[in-house]
Amino acid sequence: MKRYDLIVAGAGPAGLSAAAEAAKCGMRVAVFDENAKPGGQLFKQIHKFFGSKAHKAKIRGFNIGSELLAEAERLGVEVFLNAPVLGLYDGREILVRIGDETRHYKGDSIIVATGASENMLAFPGWTLPGVMGAGAAQTMMNINRVRPGSRVLMLGSGNVGLVVGFQLLQAGCEVVAVADAAPRVGGYGVHAAKLARCGVPFYLSHTIVRAEGSDCVTGVTIGEVDSGWSVIPGTEKHFDADTICIAVGLSSATGLLKTAGCEMEDKGPFGRLPVCDEYGQTSITGIYACGDVSGIEEASSAMIEGRISGAAAANYLGFLPDAALKARAGELEQALEALREGMFAPKNRGKIPDKTDEGFDVSMSLLTRGYLDDAEVAGYPGVRSAAGTHPVIECTQNIPCNPCQDACPKGCITVGENIVALPQIDAGAECIGCGLCVASCSGQAIFLVNEDIGGGLASVTIPYEFLPAPKPGDTGVCLGRDGKPVCPGEVLEFKSPPAFDKTGLLTVAVPQAFCGRARFWKREA
Amino acid sequence: MSKIIIVGAGAIGNAAAYYLAKTGVQVTVLEKSPYIGNGGSSRNGGGVRQSGRHPAELPLVMYGVKNIWPSLSDELGMDIEYYREGNLRLGKTEQHLEILRGLVKNAQAGGLDMRMVDSAEARELCPYLSGEVIGASWCPTDGHANPLLVTLAYYSAARRLGVTFVSGAQVTALRKLRGRVTAVVTADGTVYEADGVIVAAGYDSRKLLGSVGLDVPMNPVVLETLVTEESPPLFYQMLGTAMADFYGHQSTHGSFVFGGTHGLEPYADGSRTVGSSISASSTCRGIIGFFPVLKELKILRTWAGVIDDCADHIPVIGNPAETPGLTVGCGFSGHGFGLSPVAGLLLSQLALGQETALPLDKFRCDRFKAKV
Amino acid sequence: MTERKLLSDLVPQPDDDMVVCRCEEITKGEIRRAVHDGMFNIHEARRFLRCGMGLCQGQTCGRLVKAIIARELGISQSELDDATGRAPMRPTEMRIIASEVFGE
Repeated sequence: MKRYDLIVAGAGPAGLSAAAEAAKCGMRVAVFDENAKPGGQLFKQIHKFFGSKAHKAKIRGFNIGSELLAEAERLGVEVFLNAPVLGLYDGREILVRIGDETRHYKGDSIIVATGASENMLAFPGWTLPGVMGAGAAQTMMNINRVRPGSRVLMLGSGNVGLVVGFQLLQAGCEVVAVADAAPRVGGYGVHAAKLARCGVPFYLSHTIVRAEGSDCVTGVTIGEVDSGWSVIPGTEKHFDADTICIAVGLSSATGLLKTAGCEMEDKGPFGRLPVCDEYGQTSITGIYACGDVSGIEEASSAMIEGRISGAAAANYLGFLPDAALKARAGELEQALEALREGMFAPKNRGKIPDKTDEGFDVSMSLLTRGYLDDAEVAGYPGVRSAAGTHPVIECTQNIPCNPCQDACPKGCITVGENIVALPQIDAGAECIGCGLCVASCSGQAIFLVNEDIGGGLASVTIPYEFLPAPKPGDTGVCLGRDGKPVCPGEVLEFKSPPAFDKTGLLTVAVPQAFCGRARFWKREA
Repeated sequence: MSKIIIVGAGAIGNAAAYYLAKTGVQVTVLEKSPYIGNGGSSRNGGGVRQSGRHPAELPLVMYGVKNIWPSLSDELGMDIEYYREGNLRLGKTEQHLEILRGLVKNAQAGGLDMRMVDSAEARELCPYLSGEVIGASWCPTDGHANPLLVTLAYYSAARRLGVTFVSGAQVTALRKLRGRVTAVVTADGTVYEADGVIVAAGYDSRKLLGSVGLDVPMNPVVLETLVTEESPPLFYQMLGTAMADFYGHQSTHGSFVFGGTHGLEPYADGSRTVGSSISASSTCRGIIGFFPVLKELKILRTWAGVIDDCADHIPVIGNPAETPGLTVGCGFSGHGFGLSPVAGLLLSQLALGQETALPLDKFRCDRFKAKV
Repeated sequence: MTERKLLSDLVPQPDDDMVVCRCEEITKGEIRRAVHDGMFNIHEARRFLRCGMGLCQGQTCGRLVKAIIARELGISQSELDDATGRAPMRPTEMRIIASEVFGE
């Protein structure tokens, strides 16, 4: 039987990272994945990632996927596609379907990185065509280039719901609402704000009452829920819609681990997960689990976990000395811990702080309506008034991210050692208006403002990732943070150089009085 | 006898509980697993087969097929998907036919309606056979049922009759008190007392019987089964082969359930219920060799189960004389499901000290002797 | 240890006819009924009703079924185990399973 030093099930962010790390230590590695393309979810992530340089922040997911794949291939990892692992058996043996055959392979070590699947929600009409997982909609759009529908309701305000909601807008869909049974937006405020300023309304404490339609979805009714999650009569709201996206969390795809006999334990809201040591080793020696299969987190964390498991497998088989493992794992764990800090860290799940780490008020408007209230914006450290062009950073929650700090060639922006800290503007540093900070911000929360460009006008530069690209002279209406029209706006400039990596910088002229409120621009119909 | 404890909530334990409860006895069933019927009862291929039985078992299963199985759905108040559409045991070579003729001879000696059929008649009975089949044995009164439903239907009906079921209650020892086995102890130290105890705990029975100085020589053997996606109805006979490559049937749902052996089962670690990497492939090759028409059907699940394979491959059913109060039903050696209703009935009669519906001399606990 | 006590009477709910397991077309009402018939966990419900036993193997309905059972029993979902993992992880044709390769 063909035998490898390491067999990895799943060529997503965790699996490829594990494979690359192990191959780097000299191991013969094979990765098997059921999909036709490697990368798992990475290749449908068209947004820029959060974190720091170590986490490949500000790089778009699919580019991270390409980098990772190139690294694995360079290191001699064999990647088998269209190759579902059917079972994991005693003796670290796997059965894989390849073409019309079932092949047996053995690994002296096995890493299971099979990811997760989307949770569903049952409500009357949920089986109608047009109801789909948000991840499925994302696959349709970003992998298969098919628009899932034209009018979409998104259920779920976690990062998946928010990110996919925004991508639906980018694909030309109308997002009629984001609803969530929870009383607070579950994902990053900056993701919510991107949707809200495009005019998408948020309905917190709301769930779907029913999907309407006989052969397919033609509408949806949502309603407000009480503390027992029951819909309060009389609070129903109807939307015409042809698509309902469900983004109510993921479940770890633990099937292979369970067939192998790995011990599982209940992790409360995270479900039943494999019992793993600090390196991801399961209850069975030589079998590791990393990425979403061992607990749902972001792709950034999955990649680090993969590296740790890859290094651990290398150590187990004598390819990496103990001291080297300790050093490598230590460095990786530090990167992982940096991601597991802040308001949305797994350890803070379910807790809503009143204040940021720095003592600023946490915006309740952002948490309940998806946008910062105009009146409260000025209180944050990234927001200040100044002469000339200067950045306005509407980043108000402690999330692990710092590319803006590195982006500014003049050192205007400081996040500091702790990457969950809020960015601060150094009043003494000079802004040259290059826009690198705007393009680097994965949350699209940085704007350039010049409060006086003459003639009673101000300019506002906003990150803009929609087609067609605006041209100077185009006229339109500026929308506020809440997505409501605030003033007319004429395009002064649209820049999208390669360094901005497809985040266009749209500069519009607005009446001076509105430069603190205009945060999106819509072409005149 | 007004209170009985049953150890093991499998098909047989549940059936015994049901028949006891019908007589008004107060029954408590203790099940080690958190799930009712989680052993062989939920893992077997569902055969209700008389053909190919050991001569000693034949009267029991014939009694069941005649008196219990046909009315069991009505009795338990739900469709347990029993089909009495016959059993074809297939042969491709003269050597196969020789084996089948031997089985037919044994069956006929036991009074069972079973005969050899040629390839044409076999194909008339089941048109989907491979052209390589040259003959078969045929028992028209054999059949199959849904073991998941039989096990849970007995459970559900017994529960409605007031039987107490406790799952996650692992009995670790039997207790002989003042000369009678009337109590059991669970892993958490709880002692359950009654007037008598039935042990129907599969291979685990061995350790329990050991606690009162009895031994049934048996081994745990891992066997595997698989199920396909659903298919339009093709045939409802129970199928097998002379070489026992596979056996199985199509269920009411439309899926096919097949078991099979690859030959290395006796050497697997019987203490763990895990499948092997070679089993499903071996069974599929067996099936396709006889039913090529099924080759495009998708396999949805495979699973393993542990049988309690007794030294002489027939069960122990009885009240050991040395241990009054104790009734034993174990060692069914992989053919317990078809026997489960009758075994449950017999155990209930034994526990109550009644005359049993059939003689049980051949199933005594003390029959195992040195060979010289 | 769980004593399989009889539950109070099954009260109909307006969405009892809602399909929960799409592969096998099992409704919420059938699952609730099964709990009252003594199916106290996902294993027993699957065996009794076939919910989660179809082509997707419960990937879609597994959590939903668990939630219905937990609510009917008045317990937390975390007290209920998930369904057992079973090979093959993806439905696979018999001829492909039959065609084994052990070599390179």
